[in-house]
Amino acid sequence: MHEFSVTSQIVQSVLAEAEKRGAKKVTEVHLVVGKLTFLGLDQVRFAYEALIKGTIMEGSRLAIAEQEGIVKCGNCGYEGGFKYEDDPLYHVPLPTLKCPQCGNVVNIAAGKECTIKSVKMMV
Amino acid sequence: MELSEDLLKANQRLAEENKLFLHQNGVCTVDVMGSIGSGKTSLIEKLVRLLKSRYKIAVFKGDLTTTIDAELIAKHGVQTVAINTGKECHLDANLVRKALLKLDFKKTNLLFIENVGNLICPAEFPLGSDKRVVVVSVTEGPYMVVKHPFIFMEADIVAINKVDLAEAMGVGVKHLEKDVKTINPKAMVVPTNCRTGEGVEHVAKALGL
Repeated sequence: MHEFSVTSQIVQSVLAEAEKRGAKKVTEVHLVVGKLTFLGLDQVRFAYEALIKGTIMEGSRLAIAEQEGIVKCGNCGYEGGFKYEDDPLYHVPLPTLKCPQCGNVVNIAAGKECTIKSVKMMV
Repeated sequence: MELSEDLLKANQRLAEENKLFLHQNGVCTVDVMGSIGSGKTSLIEKLVRLLKSRYKIAVFKGDLTTTIDAELIAKHGVQTVAINTGKECHLDANLVRKALLKLDFKKTNLLFIENVGNLICPAEFPLGSDKRVVVVSVTEGPYMVVKHPFIFMEADIVAINKVDLAEAMGVGVKHLEKDVKTINPKAMVVPTNCRTGEGVEHVAKALGL
């Protein structure tokens, strides 16, 4: 829902890094986006294309890897995917903060990130 | 070239700074989220009325445009800062930081931040508050909670509002409560009618105020 503002931060960060290193051209940007974010990847790609026009990033490839949601339990030590409740009323399985192993409340350990992992540029 | 810059973490870092700054100034902060028209402003108004003799209250009121709600709250004689986001669908830690510069901390020890009406984006942008409240009203229908699990995972307290209309709407308050508890067993659920003030003292209690 706020893909444009997040993507414009991505482009600004890459441009700042490229300038710092005296790059002439940016050719690839690798992004990791957590599945618990509300970032629509199609919209991110669309905003990216619009934002890089006329910059040294124009023509660069945006590669996006998705990160699954991971929870950690402080009680039994479980670390892994969410426990889902599946009730026909919900239409889709509902993610919950209950530990799949012991039922305690878990903390979210991964899945909320939006990280620039690496950038390829020509210096 | 390896780079590891998390763009959402940048907001989280700022939020942590806000929290530290608020604590250093002796301010407890509550962030109120919920749909458009769920009753966020009404809840804050009623909380202000209930608590203003015991706390020095300030309110940040987030909206895309206009200061209508901010003026409603300012009528209660508390410091109010309108944060107009322009086009953004949520408040972020940076907007809150800017608003903090306008606060008189000698006159503040309790801050309510009303987020932009939205059950999606605010979940992603912590602001630096101590507690997060989500307001959901029965007039939004029976599936509002299960359709937006992630914001309810963020909530410390959920106010189920407009309970006086539950029967007319055919929406079960208990059912909404069960949905919240399924997603987030640690969230406290309080049924309210923020027009009359019913249940608002329980919200205050749940906030430890």
